[in-house]
Amino acid sequence: MRPGLLLTFVAMGVATYLTRAPLLVILARRRLPGWLARYFAALPIALLTALALPLVFLGRDLAFTVRDPQLAGAVLVAVLARSTGNLLLSVAGGVGLVAGLRALLG
Amino acid sequence: MPAPLARDAAAAAEPGPWPAEAGAGFRAAATTVVPSIVAYGLVWGGLARQAGLSLAEIVAMCLLVTAGTAQFVALPMLTAGAPAWLLVVTTYVVNLRHYLMAASLAPFFAGRGRGRLALLAHGVTDESYALALARFAQAPASEAYFAGCAAATYGAWYVGAVGGAALGSRIPDPYRYGLDFVFPAVFIAILARTVRHRWQWAVAGVAAVVALTVRSALGGTWHIALAGVGASLLGVWLAPTPVEAPPEPGAPRS
Repeated sequence: MRPGLLLTFVAMGVATYLTRAPLLVILARRRLPGWLARYFAALPIALLTALALPLVFLGRDLAFTVRDPQLAGAVLVAVLARSTGNLLLSVAGGVGLVAGLRALLG
Repeated sequence: MPAPLARDAAAAAEPGPWPAEAGAGFRAAATTVVPSIVAYGLVWGGLARQAGLSLAEIVAMCLLVTAGTAQFVALPMLTAGAPAWLLVVTTYVVNLRHYLMAASLAPFFAGRGRGRLALLAHGVTDESYALALARFAQAPASEAYFAGCAAATYGAWYVGAVGGAALGSRIPDPYRYGLDFVFPAVFIAILARTVRHRWQWAVAGVAAVVALTVRSALGGTWHIALAGVGASLLGVWLAPTPVEAPPEPGAPRS
């Protein structure tokens, strides 16, 4: 174990924790003004969209594409989630379709 | 539904006993994101060996850094002999998105004690965040549920990373089995259940355009923070004011 490396990892862990803890601790103990509550109401939608869509619409080279199997998988996930409300079923269906299409299309 | 993921009548009730909630959180993660996290842990562990980290260093890095994406980004930097300060700054930047997740989780844990919140903060990851949102839209918010999700996702990452370090370069590509698609699938499933009103579509649409543009132009993880900060501004004007859960200072619930 290289001591310098260990110290670097500790500092990286502190940097990570500083992105996780402050707003959770501060905001959970305040009553939010209306505009901020509305901002936070929108935040999950914006974040989940930003997390998900690049993995659907951008290929491994980061170029925009609608030809990857992920798009068909995403549509199936959305339809299943909307109609059944079952997270596991929706995810399993989408992953199965993507894996199957990739195996078929090579 | 007055707001996205709003605490409705059911959510105003008390959560169940903590072992049941923690078990439910653990199972929700185990049946959705855990296989993929193990697969990516395997890949990371294999790459970390190739980057010259010993098994002890790999374990130490997982336990101390606690952030998968940052650990992936750090490997080529370690190989290239990047200075420590650059690794730390890069980790911070890659993790900026956690600020937004923590902020949006905060209302669900309103009034909990500082120490408890500081502990729960360790669980703020992409996967636990998404699973907690899905649950808290339908059931009372529970720290135990969130902790259960976090325990499963952290455990999966450790198991995968150590396994990958042992197996070295003989790791199959998760892409082959569609496991890379589990993460967007979870996020999309939650969105599909949530987005119903016009203002929600507007937020999602703007977030999509910003995220795709920024991600394809810059790479990295900037798109998450920028689309999150930017598109949510629409909510200030368009969203109805959520029904505020009454804060209960000094009365933390279990």
